[in-house]
Amino acid sequence: MARKRRKTVWGAGELNLTAMIDVAFQLLNFFLITSHPVDVMSRLSVLRPKPDYTATRETQLEALVIMVLPEKYIINKTPVDFEQLEGILGKLAIRSKNQSVLIECLNQTHHKQLVRLLDLCAQLGLKNMSLVSSGGA
Amino acid sequence: MRERSEDALNGNLTAMIDVVFQLIIFFVCTSNLQDSAPNTEIALPVAPHGEVVTQKDPREINIDVDARGNISIVRTKISQSLLLGILKKAVAEFGNDIPLIVRADAESEHTAVKKVLDACSSAGLYRIEFAAFKEKAEK
Repeated sequence: MARKRRKTVWGAGELNLTAMIDVAFQLLNFFLITSHPVDVMSRLSVLRPKPDYTATRETQLEALVIMVLPEKYIINKTPVDFEQLEGILGKLAIRSKNQSVLIECLNQTHHKQLVRLLDLCAQLGLKNMSLVSSGGA
Repeated sequence: MRERSEDALNGNLTAMIDVVFQLIIFFVCTSNLQDSAPNTEIALPVAPHGEVVTQKDPREINIDVDARGNISIVRTKISQSLLLGILKKAVAEFGNDIPLIVRADAESEHTAVKKVLDACSSAGLYRIEFAAFKEKAEK
């Protein structure tokens, strides 16, 4: 007598869980691989002077020196606030975007102040920025 | 009876192996994403006018500096001397044009950032990029 193969009969309301998990992970992997997250980060580029670099009188005259202090900025030995600095740099940028800017930071300078200045330079199109670090005030 | 149970086992095993491989793919994808994700303990400053990089260089090195001045790479705290060793090795292998991104907390003092910059200069890397958020996050 032929043996009848009993097939699994799914009753009403029963689910094949393994297949469902399989499909769920398929979908998850698909969206993980195909999704492109929006880039929320920006970058500000600076140059560090090389150890063998010595500032000559000509380069010192050409570069605009901005010192970043905890509460203010000093541009060519004149203390200014951020709005005044924005005006000065704006006028310089109109004249030449290749203007060299030398940024000097002290130990107590907060990083957000440096980034604010770099962002301003990026906004004005100034690309020639160098960063030096000096000790405390 | 025995045939039925063997058939059931074989059928279930195929689906199980399938799910296992799905899980492996899932964890491989998420671990890759975790490596490049920024450290959530670091509150980056905001710079709306900075350059947005769409194509990332696989050689780039991300160095994190938190508000307390701790230096870390891929969430592993390291000293300045170890950082210098890592950078020298990277320069020897890939050249001195590797992109270097410093992700420093907005409230961190320049003393900590200076340690990173000095290590970079000692390793022969003179072009450094500071990472920032393009927009301020809404609370």
